[in-house]
Amino acid sequence: MIGPSRVAELEMPAAGIETAGSRPAQSYWNESWERLRANRIGMAAGTLILVMAVIAVMAPLFSLVLTHYQPQTINLLETFAKPGAGHLLGSDELGRDTLTRLIWGARVSLGVAFLTVAMSLTLGTTLGMVAGYYGGWIDDVLMRLVDTVLAIPAIFLFILMSILFRPNAFTLAAIIASVGWGTVARLVRGEVLSVKQRDFIVATRSIGARDSRLMVRHLLPNVLPVLIVAASLGVGQIILVEAALDFLGLGIQPPTPSWGNMLTNAQSYFFRSGWLVALPGITIFITVLASNLFGNAIRDAFDPRLKS
Amino acid sequence: MLAKYVARRILASIVVVLGVTLITLILMDRTRGAYVPGIDFNPSLRPEDVARLRADLGLDRPFYVWYLSWIWGVLHGDFGHSMIDGSTVTSHILDRLPNTLELTVTAILIGMVFAIPVGVIGALRRGSKTDHALTVVSVAGFAVPQFWMGLMLILIFSVTLEQHGLPWLPSSGAFSPFNGGDILDRLQHLILPATVLSFFYVSTWSRFIRSSMLEVLSQDYIRTARAKGMSERRVVYLHGLRNALIPLITLVGLELPGLVSGGLVVEVVFGWPGIGKLAFERAIQYDYSTVMGVTFFAALLVIAGNLIADVLYGVLDPRIRFG
Repeated sequence: MIGPSRVAELEMPAAGIETAGSRPAQSYWNESWERLRANRIGMAAGTLILVMAVIAVMAPLFSLVLTHYQPQTINLLETFAKPGAGHLLGSDELGRDTLTRLIWGARVSLGVAFLTVAMSLTLGTTLGMVAGYYGGWIDDVLMRLVDTVLAIPAIFLFILMSILFRPNAFTLAAIIASVGWGTVARLVRGEVLSVKQRDFIVATRSIGARDSRLMVRHLLPNVLPVLIVAASLGVGQIILVEAALDFLGLGIQPPTPSWGNMLTNAQSYFFRSGWLVALPGITIFITVLASNLFGNAIRDAFDPRLKS
Repeated sequence: MLAKYVARRILASIVVVLGVTLITLILMDRTRGAYVPGIDFNPSLRPEDVARLRADLGLDRPFYVWYLSWIWGVLHGDFGHSMIDGSTVTSHILDRLPNTLELTVTAILIGMVFAIPVGVIGALRRGSKTDHALTVVSVAGFAVPQFWMGLMLILIFSVTLEQHGLPWLPSSGAFSPFNGGDILDRLQHLILPATVLSFFYVSTWSRFIRSSMLEVLSQDYIRTARAKGMSERRVVYLHGLRNALIPLITLVGLELPGLVSGGLVVEVVFGWPGIGKLAFERAIQYDYSTVMGVTFFAALLVIAGNLIADVLYGVLDPRIRFG
């Protein structure tokens, strides 16, 4: 918790104050990092995500050492096994090991989430910045495009595009990002509109800086905090969307395991094994919860104005 | 002022609706390949039969010709016939709309009934154990996959209860076709899907109400009301809550498009015969005209939802000017 004294410190202008006993002036990034580190729940959630990412990357190793199963090995003699010694988290209707499939599924979910965030940020930032900086008809055209993209029921776009591009991790990310960039563009445009009115931008332009330099060197760093917050808050939502698409059969296709497509046939497991329905969902829930908590911590650390 | 604002917004929306439908059509046209909607790959069909069917559906023409004739139809109130079963798109939508409304309106009402007290209690007892517990529940609500929550409810309340010989809830459909269809039967079918949908609304809205309530309660006019000795109850409910609820109007307005797409996953999981499920099934089958009709309808709802939310917001809060 931030007490009154620290709040006062935060609000002091960083430069030019050297009274005895005050902290040395810190950069914005250092201060944000300090705030983030003080947030225990946020750090725990971040660590969990990091651990999951490591597990996802090293999935083949875990297959060899921990579970001793491959995600696609079928064993019809051990279908619907209960969690226990043979299969730590049980097995599915084809006798495939559930824990192994969950570990490999993490690759899909986390991989798609990070790819999607990267793609929508790149496209959204570029277009949002161009729209906000140049204004006029460019702004009008780009913003009507954003309105249009955001007015199509996203699920239709996903359905049709997942037929057009056979979904793998990369195309699935592109499909989800094709909607996600719209919100980012709106956000960045709004930020640019306010930043470009400030004196330092006028000053930079008056000494003859080119548009491209102004945007990359001066606007982008000022938009960055908003982007970091948007990115970290977006990850959880994307994991949910991706899982829903997999569940509907529109995303990653079997036999490649993903948390969503492990539930596609859930309705036929009801009478055989409740575990098969519960486990993938619990995994999604924990991952999304951790990403959201970490996202909130990032928002509080990098943009304290927004703290709820 | 307001009329001019609304008129300008409607003009801008026409562009958006044209864009939405055009993108949808192009995507369908690019992805369909040689498939002709409404016919299976039937070996006894001769190539000339297939060509004739294609021509009947207008699929032998380039997509922009199809689009122009579709627009012409829409301008005359004609959304065409389904390419799968031949009945009119309008009748399909009107057929499914009541079911979707039944589900979403119930969920929105349940959502408000729970979200408002939860948000107000959180704000009034800020930092207390109750507040923290409510926060945890709503943060968790954001992280639950809707389709999985539906599956778990079915597993618990339909499958497990039935296996133990206890009274159980139906797992799919909006009513039982053979026994009933009366109001009690429909209510039974409504419980599970409405729970899933409203759970999400409660977690979102209660956060908004909490923070908007906190903001309102820190305003000067609340201090004035307290200073002149007004009872705490009157301060909170008469002056606080009424103003804190304004942002909720926007949120509910933004849920309008959810009528079509928001409930889609829930409708699919519970076999609920609504518009979302219709759209999902028909998009997979390339029923051009039905998908275009539903997309058009959905885009209209998005725009209308945004506009209604903005206008209501201005009416309820006179400080907001329409520019």
